[in-house]
Amino acid sequence: MFATKRLGKELSKMQSGLPNGIELIKADDFKEWLLDIRVVDANPIYQGEVYRIKFMFSPNYPIEAPEVVFVQDESHPIPYHPHIYSNGIICLDLLDRTGWSPVHNVESVCISLQSMLTGNTKKERPPGDENFVRSNTQRPRDINFVFHDPHV
Amino acid sequence: MPTGNEYAAEQLKTQGNTHFKNGEYEAAETCYGQAIQKNSKNPLLFTNRANARLKLEKWQEVIDDCLKSIELMRENMKGFFYLAQAQLAINHPNEALSSALTAYDLCTHSSQQTSNAATISALVLKCKKAKWDIRERDRLRRRSSLLSTLESNLESQCKRDLFEITEQASTGAIGAIEASDSKSELLKAHEQNLADLRTAFAISDPGNMAKREVPDYLIDGITFEIMHDPVVTKNGRSYERATIIEHLKRSPTDPLTREPLRIEELRPNIALKEACTEFMEANSGWVYDCIDGEEDRDSRWAHLSSS
Repeated sequence: MFATKRLGKELSKMQSGLPNGIELIKADDFKEWLLDIRVVDANPIYQGEVYRIKFMFSPNYPIEAPEVVFVQDESHPIPYHPHIYSNGIICLDLLDRTGWSPVHNVESVCISLQSMLTGNTKKERPPGDENFVRSNTQRPRDINFVFHDPHV
Repeated sequence: MPTGNEYAAEQLKTQGNTHFKNGEYEAAETCYGQAIQKNSKNPLLFTNRANARLKLEKWQEVIDDCLKSIELMRENMKGFFYLAQAQLAINHPNEALSSALTAYDLCTHSSQQTSNAATISALVLKCKKAKWDIRERDRLRRRSSLLSTLESNLESQCKRDLFEITEQASTGAIGAIEASDSKSELLKAHEQNLADLRTAFAISDPGNMAKREVPDYLIDGITFEIMHDPVVTKNGRSYERATIIEHLKRSPTDPLTREPLRIEELRPNIALKEACTEFMEANSGWVYDCIDGEEDRDSRWAHLSSS
């Protein structure tokens, strides 16, 4: 019951300006949005690449967290990061059911993802990536991640 | 009263509820009516019938049922809630607002904090908007009548001056060319006066000039809307009561600090509430318009239906 109004307000705010490196691609409805991000400082792992993020909202957003994944196509790879699986699923506490807070918003999630990449020094996938990607049939919101490392 | 009648009334009420759920409001109304004949002391029968009659848009009868129910039970959130909707429908926004506020009070002071608060909040805002609309309509009417009086005064002044020039020309006091020049100057000045007058009225209209933005400190960080009943957390942040409760029911933590936070620890923020009210009074037209863009009303009331 909240989502439509809240997303409408977020949208008009975002249309009047977004931080450097974040771009709104598609927001035709209040169910699914696409945004592009790139890392603005000189981190060699992510130079020259643009990543596409998909947001999916339930009618109870922002009381419920949005589902957020990286999506891959010809021009948008999945970024290398120890917390990002090669199928685009992100392990980040603020996107988890218990870590989410309704004061977050689409823009702040994008900024968090951007800084998660900016601060990363390891060009690698999470341990067990291949297995996880092959066997995972769950939606991101139903996965119970264990957060090993609060600093990444 | 024989318990047999109470039992029969209870049976009829259950039947009525089933009809209601199936959208058969007339059948539901009839069942509740028969139940009331068996037992006229049960306030719930009246509120249930009022809800069915709301669907049937029998506003006056809704009001009768609600008043009867409230008479039987003072602390009657549903009674006041349905009453407010009917009063709003027959265009009595002042009464509707007072009923809606009573319902809201009963709801927030009840032991179980339910999501009804958000629904009733929305109704309170609708009543305020209706009240504001009437005030605004009167204001425009008043203002435009003053404006049209002033305009017609200017008009007759101009005609008098024109007539005077014609007089002077006909007595030979001024020449024909001079007369025609004065006339066109006069008409030009008249047009300018009219335009100035209208501009002055437009500027004096606060709705025209006010910056259409709600200040951040009046906005709930969860819904991004102006607050109507703000409550403050331990760390000093304020949120709309209904939405923060919705969050705390899922996760009993402060949205910003993640420290444990329980519903009982919220406190009303009275000064901020007054600031919100004052802002809404001054800017209602567009503040409410933003709030009103809601798609499906019925689904919002749905969870309050008969029980």
